[in-house]
Amino acid sequence: MKTFKGGIHPPEEKDLVKNNPIVDLPLSSVFYVLVQQHLGAPAKPIVKPGDEVKKGQPLSEPLGFVSAPVHAPTSGKVTAIAKRVHPVTGLLAPCIVIEADGKDEWVEGLPLNRDPFTMKKEELMGAIQSAGIVGMGGATFPTHVKLSPPKEKTIDTFIVNGAECEPYLSSDHRLMLEQPERVLNGMRIAMGILGLNKGILAIEANKPDVIKIMEEKAPPEIMVEPLKVKYPQGAEKQLINAITGREVPSGGLPMDVGAVVQNAGTCAAIWDACAHGIPLIERITSVTGRGIKHPKNIRVRVGTPIQEVIDFCGGLTEAAKIIYGGPMMGIAQFSDQISIMKGTSGVLVLTEKDTNISWYSGCISCGRCVEACPMCLIPSTLSKLGEKSMWEMALGNDLLDCVECGSCTYVCPANRPIVHFVKHLKALQRAANAKKKGA
Amino acid sequence: MAALILGISAVTFAVEMDPREKAVLDQLPGANCGACGFAGCAAFAHEITENPEAEMACPAVNEAALNAMSEILGRDLGGGAAFVAFIRCKGTPDQTETRYNYVGPKDCRAAQLVAGGSKACQFGCLGLGTCVDVCPFGAMYMGEDSLPHVIESKCTGCGKCIQACPRGIVQLIPSSGNFCVGCISSDISKDMKQLCKVGCIKCGICADVCPFDAISVAKDKAAQIDQAKCQTCGLCVSVCPTSVIGFVHTPVKVHVIDEKCKGCGICASVCPVDAISGIIKQPYTVNQSRCIGCGMCIDMCPADAIERNIS
Repeated sequence: MKTFKGGIHPPEEKDLVKNNPIVDLPLSSVFYVLVQQHLGAPAKPIVKPGDEVKKGQPLSEPLGFVSAPVHAPTSGKVTAIAKRVHPVTGLLAPCIVIEADGKDEWVEGLPLNRDPFTMKKEELMGAIQSAGIVGMGGATFPTHVKLSPPKEKTIDTFIVNGAECEPYLSSDHRLMLEQPERVLNGMRIAMGILGLNKGILAIEANKPDVIKIMEEKAPPEIMVEPLKVKYPQGAEKQLINAITGREVPSGGLPMDVGAVVQNAGTCAAIWDACAHGIPLIERITSVTGRGIKHPKNIRVRVGTPIQEVIDFCGGLTEAAKIIYGGPMMGIAQFSDQISIMKGTSGVLVLTEKDTNISWYSGCISCGRCVEACPMCLIPSTLSKLGEKSMWEMALGNDLLDCVECGSCTYVCPANRPIVHFVKHLKALQRAANAKKKGA
Repeated sequence: MAALILGISAVTFAVEMDPREKAVLDQLPGANCGACGFAGCAAFAHEITENPEAEMACPAVNEAALNAMSEILGRDLGGGAAFVAFIRCKGTPDQTETRYNYVGPKDCRAAQLVAGGSKACQFGCLGLGTCVDVCPFGAMYMGEDSLPHVIESKCTGCGKCIQACPRGIVQLIPSSGNFCVGCISSDISKDMKQLCKVGCIKCGICADVCPFDAISVAKDKAAQIDQAKCQTCGLCVSVCPTSVIGFVHTPVKVHVIDEKCKGCGICASVCPVDAISGIIKQPYTVNQSRCIGCGMCIDMCPADAIERNIS
């Protein structure tokens, strides 16, 4: 079975939620839609307090190409444009507050019913862009940018990431199992846009039910590729390496080796946008972990307050830590004043037993992090440089090639927060660059 | 044998150095902090000796050394005011709310990356001591209150701590000045109070009482002392309801020398806190519990009859 070099195999912990079918979360009475739910240029709110909005209506206008709008998750009234904690940055960020009227009416003209396979490439791209689709694995990079590589790059490989290598999470698993057509059709649209006649759907071997159903349903141009169960199998560069054997050059992007990777959830959203004109206003999220009473896979509107999600899943039990995303790359939350975002692939509630809250000690040079690093870096050296804030020297140790997957931190017997050190060094480098530019 | 070779080569290959350069180097702090923009003290000594246009770029040099260097180089290097660092936060862990438990690299800049830091006040000191770590002169230490403290006698005002602090709470104040507001919060008072018990509440009393109009304060800006205008009277410290205004040197109170006092009463009329009282033509007395040590009376006394207490 195909895979990449390095990596780790943490306990999968997927049994908590992987057999629970997707259920709809009842409509919340109030929604908090953050304006910035993507990577890239900011977007500007185009509604004001007091405005009546309908489900699917755009609420913001992107400022620039690498940007994405957000849409009203239901019909109702905008009550405020307030500042709320952003789950990714932890800082206060502009947020559109919508009080639902309970009617859940679509904006006029939606949903459409059209055949996306007869549409022109420009029309499809326009539909994806205006639907505000971003990478739904968690990185939230605008999808239309990824689907429009510059002309000089030849793209010959399209990979859909159904690996879901993060422990605990099963949202992509349930999506592919219950709605394989959405994923496969979305894939075909993306392949059409890229001008390719074949695509690869990569799935980790711990999801045999999905592999079976996909092999049955997939059209001949789509190949289902089972992958070894290993973290970070779903990381873009590792996925490309495992499937094609190609290595994305240092500082390069997947398109430099002729590959484009999209998440399975993103493909489903592409289908909704192209076939029905439906913007990205809901997603499938795993609410899991031993700190939640009844782990569930839910279909949830973007902007739903986290409290409603937790209440729907029976509330918390001995919760010690709430994480947006998976345990490896997810972001721990300090506030309950947050809402579901486009990139929230999971809400993970860990108990004290499952977390490791302890201070670190000096590097014992055991080399386990070197073995685990999927990018073939030397994390121990980077962590020591991080301790001394020596970012210039770290650049010479390929600092910028680190994908921050956390494998090194996971295996470190000295509890060293290696990824945090790397982020610290990267931030120092960015600050120095900005200063140089300004001077 | 080896010693002989080394001895000969030391003489043969000795690098000729301008003796003035050596003398200048001896006067520089020798911390190689880089604040001047050169690669260490030796590089800067070379530059300032060789280039007659070069200006004094070392912020850490004291006045005596500056005068010595002016003499060595035979040109005026300017009077370069000395500065001292001041920590503008008084939010100890028991006074300021915490948003979460931080476990990670012991560096404030790294802690700032995690949701903007664990301290609830986004302006407050993160207390991991990065300023202390970068200080090339050992002039700072972390106190038991988890806040950094400046050892005024060692601080040279090089400004390394300012560059390192992700929250910008270190300010340089001229050593002629003495007072600084220990808070930079731009939150309005109501919001700030929920997060911290000791921050500036922007009441503006300090600005009102300042006889020199040196303090500015706004609803969304903590009080700021204009060091150019401040005459170090310390009146602001005595009126601040939250005791957020701090000082480098503790103000020393004054007393009247009875033998010299002519009883003119000028001191009583200039005293901003009405601490001096007396009867005309008899020695005046200073109420020690009211005196704030501003020294205005000393400046005004025609008989030099007022002096500071021995501290």
